[in-house]
Amino acid sequence: MRIVLAALALLAAAHALPAAAGDRFYYLGYGVVQVVDGDADTIVADIPIKGAVREVDVTPDRKFMYVAANRRHVHKVDLATNRVVASIDLASDGWERFMFGFALAADGTSAYGAMMSRRADKGEAIVGRPVVAQFDLATGKILRSVEVPWGVAHLVAVRGGAQLYAFGQALYTIDTTQPELAVVATRPLAGRGMNILPFWDYTFDNGGVASMNYYTATHMGLLIVDQKSGAIDDLPLRGDPVMAYSVVLAPDRKLAYAVMDELTVIDLARKTYARSVPVAEGTSYGVNVSSDGRKVYVAGGGSTLTVYDARTLKPLKVLQMASDGMDLRRLPK
Amino acid sequence: MRKKAIQALNEKARAIERLADGEQPTAQALTDRKVPQGCTTIFDTGWETNPRPTYPVGNCQASARDFHGCVGDCWWPAQMPDGLTNHREFDEQCPNVARDWRNLKYD
Repeated sequence: MRIVLAALALLAAAHALPAAAGDRFYYLGYGVVQVVDGDADTIVADIPIKGAVREVDVTPDRKFMYVAANRRHVHKVDLATNRVVASIDLASDGWERFMFGFALAADGTSAYGAMMSRRADKGEAIVGRPVVAQFDLATGKILRSVEVPWGVAHLVAVRGGAQLYAFGQALYTIDTTQPELAVVATRPLAGRGMNILPFWDYTFDNGGVASMNYYTATHMGLLIVDQKSGAIDDLPLRGDPVMAYSVVLAPDRKLAYAVMDELTVIDLARKTYARSVPVAEGTSYGVNVSSDGRKVYVAGGGSTLTVYDARTLKPLKVLQMASDGMDLRRLPK
Repeated sequence: MRKKAIQALNEKARAIERLADGEQPTAQALTDRKVPQGCTTIFDTGWETNPRPTYPVGNCQASARDFHGCVGDCWWPAQMPDGLTNHREFDEQCPNVARDWRNLKYD
């Protein structure tokens, strides 16, 4: 009897403890990517990186993260050892290239980038046409490209990589299945009064769904992109718009969290704002959520990472990071 | 004949005009664009104007927290180091603006 009671007590105690979500967060800094254990909320590794990190993507097996930095470098990071194992520079053939928008291709050996380019010829600056290009991840060599209108700043691969969504002043759909890349559809954004800064989308964190906010003259809305189907939900939100750089979805997809100077909870079913609290540390670029939905993480902009209780929005912990940062991304351990 | 808005009044000014004879326009006013832009030429947003009536009012708080975001992509290039062309290693010099601002070395 005593053994049974002890076992029941242990079981009850175990039940009372918060379950370990088993997350690993990657803080995208300057000259460094820092790894944070999401159960203890402590920094567990530093990955030295050349450049200011801007965008990342992960391989389908989650073994490698490709890190785009300084708009021109791409580093391959082994997530088992937390080390950079290869790096490329997108400059070649006398051209400098600047990449705004990065997505791995389905072949595992190449990636797509939205690129601007320039070179000097006898003292004159030559500016190349903006393109979305596919490049070799081992060499940086451009494999093929398609010209796009000025202003593309973000790429999302959809339908198994058969198409790319290129976000700029419009949303351009690019077919990747033919020998030549081709823009096959254009959906106006600026033409519909939508203004978007699509640097943060949390596609792999959200389980294959990109989430980005936009503004019109009257409201803020969300663009929710399902990578598998390519379907795009446009959710205009009711109420005075909050200011936000980025938006991440809660695991149950009932809520979303937005951040800039405040952390704001968005009720996705009612399409409105539920609650906002000021971020005491100041303006932040990135927001993420634990896979169990219990904790919200705010980081980037400055050099802090703040952990919030998702239910109360009270800060639980503030980590001082090694550098200022651009974003915080989540993967399972 | 259409009257010029600005006329050369001395020999030096006339010499400058002669230098420009036959030249075609080589620059475009930024205001001719449909949206504003920095040298980064990405889709600009105006997020930072942040026109809320209550706290926090105005730009990013504190401005240091938005410094690297602007530098790296060349926003506000007249006010901040241009991280795409002239100050590419800025992130190495000053990875944490609030801590390392004394290391700033740019004109």
